[in-house]
Amino acid sequence: MTGIFLFSEDPVLAKQLLTPALALKGALDQPITALALDGATAADLAALGADTVLLLQSASGWVEGLGDAVTDLVRAATVVLVGGTQRGKHLAAHVAAKLDAGLTTDAKSLAIEDGKLVTSRILYAGLAVGVEELAFPAVATIPPRSYPTPEAAQTPGSVETVAVTDDIRVTVTGTTPTESSGVDISLANKLVSVGRGFRSKDDLPLAEGLAAKLKGEVSCTRGIAEDEYWLPIERYIGISGQTVKPDLYLAVGLSGQVQHMVGARESKIIVAINSDERAPIFEAADYGIVGDLYAVLPLLTAAITS
Amino acid sequence: MPKFLVLYKWTLDEQDIKIKSDDLSLDASRAKGKISDFDRNAIEEAARIVEAKGGSVDVLTYGSAAVKQSLKDVLSRGADKAYWIADASAETADAVVTAKVLAAAIRKIGPYDVILTGEGSSDQFNQQTAPRVAALLGLPCLSLVHKLDVEAGTVSVTRKLAVCTEQATVSGPVVVSVLSDINKPRIPGLKQVLGAAKKPNEEIALGSLGVSPADLQPKAVRRSAKGFVMTRKNVVFKDANPADSVAKLVSSLVSEGLF
Ligand SMILES: Cc1cc2nc3c(=O)[nH]c(=O)nc-3n(C[C@H](O)[C@H](O)[C@H](O)COP(=O)(O)OP(=O)(O)OC[C@H]3O[C@@H](n4cnc5c(N)ncnc54)[C@H](O)[C@@H]3O)c2cc1C
Ligand SMILES: Nc1ncnc2c1ncn2[C@@H]1O[C@H](COP(=O)(O)O)[C@@H](O)[C@H]1O
Repeated sequence: MTGIFLFSEDPVLAKQLLTPALALKGALDQPITALALDGATAADLAALGADTVLLLQSASGWVEGLGDAVTDLVRAATVVLVGGTQRGKHLAAHVAAKLDAGLTTDAKSLAIEDGKLVTSRILYAGLAVGVEELAFPAVATIPPRSYPTPEAAQTPGSVETVAVTDDIRVTVTGTTPTESSGVDISLANKLVSVGRGFRSKDDLPLAEGLAAKLKGEVSCTRGIAEDEYWLPIERYIGISGQTVKPDLYLAVGLSGQVQHMVGARESKIIVAINSDERAPIFEAADYGIVGDLYAVLPLLTAAITS
Repeated sequence: MPKFLVLYKWTLDEQDIKIKSDDLSLDASRAKGKISDFDRNAIEEAARIVEAKGGSVDVLTYGSAAVKQSLKDVLSRGADKAYWIADASAETADAVVTAKVLAAAIRKIGPYDVILTGEGSSDQFNQQTAPRVAALLGLPCLSLVHKLDVEAGTVSVTRKLAVCTEQATVSGPVVVSVLSDINKPRIPGLKQVLGAAKKPNEEIALGSLGVSPADLQPKAVRRSAKGFVMTRKNVVFKDANPADSVAKLVSSLVSEGLF
């Protein structure tokens, strides 16, 4: 087995994957092969340190259907890194099954020890951190923004075009891009995070007003986005959503279940506003107010202006 | 009429797991079992389609001896028949082992038209089982489905991804993972609970599946699991007049240098 392979359909994430791949190259002394779906990304990856880039010519471009094709290309792999988008996770699981390989989902760290890939990841939705060792070949998915993009390489790699077969059993009949609010909550310094304590969508301006005063953004729990559709999916935080690290995380009317907090617990200061004194959010908070958000939020918003 | 198989995992309720303060190890001795949260959506979805259009819902689980406790629960949620594999290997199983065992069992009890899973298991949240089982069985896989239609052998879905929603169709057998917003699972009533006792369940002996001992060795071996502890200041204001609490909070945040 020789070679470190990487793939993400997200061009930014693909470039970020090169950083851990280059570290693995140092540890294993094996070349990096990157797989790309478009020429521009292929050229970037070659410039940033991939020794070889395989530019896949997929007719459909449906990432989830490339499992068998990618498996054929990475058969020699020691380690395969895949960008941890939803499509990427699906593809990685297919490839890992075909390689008879272990796969760490959302790896937080990667190291080579005694001929194994040692990874850490979250367990029990955030209650614990598990360390696991994977025999080679090993696969890991890496969440977006885990690593910076590396500096340009001294000698750029080469790009080769490869024809690949799609999964023609699946017909994608329509795609509707998610309406993006253009807000990237992972970049916000201050977040006002909304939970089911809000009784209606009409009450969200309470949070928006506070966020505006703080020059921050509004984020939310899964239910607010997935079940109520009050806010876009890209705004929800947690194990199946975004991970954020703002200076201030103001949790309003949210209970603070571990599945949510795992995405916010690296915030610098956490503040809770909740009417239930026993809500778990208070254990996870630096400061808290036990009270009705409908009374507290207007007061807080006013207090910050003055 | 569609034959459904729902894969469900019997997991520990993470809310009952305690972190030991001395070495941060996990104490699950008082943790109760539960059907992994999103698997209830998978069972519900199959049950609703069958109630509307006919067909059948089998369920299958692989776990330690404790999985027997799940049978009544799962059968009260709309399943017609439960298959279960109880083996100690499940305690160290990674996604590789789990998918191999489940795929081998499906080869034995199948074929099915639609094999359903949850989006991810509550304890591992690997999000691997559906694509892995599909790859091993040579079936297509549609993940993250929030709308499912089965009509005359054609499965049409809407998938919900962070970047888009996507409509896709497959004719013939398929593995589907569902999102929690696909439905609201029923809370079984007394009638369903009593009815569950009369429904069939069948143990599948792992030895009968032709899975080799090597296949039961995980490729991802757990080295350690340590509780995540957060040290926070835990200062809570609960003045009768909320304005007092707000004033204290604001001055705390000022002293933190936040504004
Ligand atoms: C496998 C899995 C993955 C999951 N992934 C995620 C995830 O990524 N992100 C996520 O967020 N969740 C996730 N969840 C769901 C998670 O477990 C919680 O159910 C969810 O986070 C709770 O949302 P909430 O806090 O908005 O609602 P609730 O838990 O219902 O809390 C509402 C809170 O509001 C308070 N409240 C009510 N009225 C008022 C008022 N007037 N003033 C002040 N406070 C009030 C209540 O006391 C309560 O504490 C996941 C669950 C599972 C099983
Ligand atoms: N041991 C198991 N037995 C039956 N089904 C399982 C098992 N493990 C996982 N699954 C199914 O696969 C889904 C995804 O699990 P995971 O890949 O662990 O996130 C779960 O929601 C279940 O539907």
